[in-house]
Amino acid sequence: MANMIMASSKALITSSIPSSPRTKLSLPQIPIPKLPLPKLPKSPLILSLPSNLKSISVILASSLAFAPPSLAEEIEKASLFDFNLTLPIMMAEFLFLMFALDKLYFSPLGKFMDERDSAIKEKLNSVKDTSAEVKQLEDQAAAIMRAARAEISAALNKMKKETQLEVEKKIAEGRKKVEAELQEALASLDKQKEETIKSLDSQIAALSDEIVKKVLPVSN
Amino acid sequence: MNVLSCSINTLKGLYDISGVEVGQHFYWQIGGFQVHGQVLITSWVVIAILLGSATIAVRNPQTIPTGGQNFFEYVLEFIRDVSKTQIGEEYGPWVPFIGTMFLFIFVSNWSGALLPWKIIQLPHGELAAPTNDINTTVALALLTSVAYFYAGLTKKGLGYFGKYIQPTPILLPINILEDFTKPLSLSFRLFGNILADELVVVVLVSLVPLVVPIPVMLLGLFTSGIQALIFATLAAAYIGESMEGHH
Repeated sequence: MANMIMASSKALITSSIPSSPRTKLSLPQIPIPKLPLPKLPKSPLILSLPSNLKSISVILASSLAFAPPSLAEEIEKASLFDFNLTLPIMMAEFLFLMFALDKLYFSPLGKFMDERDSAIKEKLNSVKDTSAEVKQLEDQAAAIMRAARAEISAALNKMKKETQLEVEKKIAEGRKKVEAELQEALASLDKQKEETIKSLDSQIAALSDEIVKKVLPVSN
Repeated sequence: MNVLSCSINTLKGLYDISGVEVGQHFYWQIGGFQVHGQVLITSWVVIAILLGSATIAVRNPQTIPTGGQNFFEYVLEFIRDVSKTQIGEEYGPWVPFIGTMFLFIFVSNWSGALLPWKIIQLPHGELAAPTNDINTTVALALLTSVAYFYAGLTKKGLGYFGKYIQPTPILLPINILEDFTKPLSLSFRLFGNILADELVVVVLVSLVPLVVPIPVMLLGLFTSGIQALIFATLAAAYIGESMEGHH
């Protein structure tokens, strides 16, 4: 296929009509003026193929072989494989693009991304390594708790002591009062007992006299 | 025979209508040499797109990326991933080469499919993807060859040429042949795919201007991306191959 195109284009170069005036500059879309299809000496080569081999590729190839004459009117050569100074220029352009993109894009953005990655990793590691800080904070919290507990228990003890004292005082007071009342009651009881005993004594004397009288009349 | 000439005439008509211009070039003369102007113009546009978008997106990088920066970071990660997979741990210095290869081919291919080049009329030829010119693809393939020779020579010195007789000296001709087939296959694969893709789209558009070409266009976009990836991956693979130790 490639050879065919090249061969056809070379044949065209030789067979083209030299430089008709260019008329198509102002044409809108169709750049190829329609010319009658010239019979080329090459055509038997294609047309002599057996007709049952008329695959689409053959048609396309032959059409490519036929069609360029209308183009070749205008341009001296038409070919796909036309190497010229474009090749080194494209190389230079590519190298320029490579350096420019490296300066503008690959290096700065790559560096930026790597730096960000390392920064994130560092932060992650530092987050993992805060166990010391956490321990310190925990110790601090425990100390505060201990102090608070001590304070509370001290206050509690103090209050307990105070209340106990108060209670004891009250109890002592009450006991004193009760004792006083008891003494009083006991004293009055003794007095009554004495009085009763005294009155009983006198009665006993009389009674005993009577008993003696009753028992001893005989003896009298 | 009649059918054939008839179909040829039909195709000729289609050819004229669609304005397919195969192998047409817009020649410039530079110091007695000819260059393909349309390729240079489109490649400048592609380079401008790449440099411009990269500059805008990376100008002021933020810790938490948004929008363009996010996209460019994703692209860079992708390129690094490709390079690392193919080259290995020492991929760092090759990221610009592989990345530029991928981005340039990718944006070139997609520019051919997406940018309305046809609006701009040239005296000869037409604007299309830079990669549908054989000069571009051969230039890129030759640079790849230079790159993998450079990689091998800097890594292993002259011992690099020991790989030519590696399994047995009998394979020497085949190993030498490989150095020619690599750039050849790289360049022709890319050139053929992109040219064929654009031709198919143009021919289909000329046949059925509505709806029908759209799937083919989408397929073309897909193929373009795949071709860029294949080129970059193979370039990286060749570089990695010439750098790795031969036992």
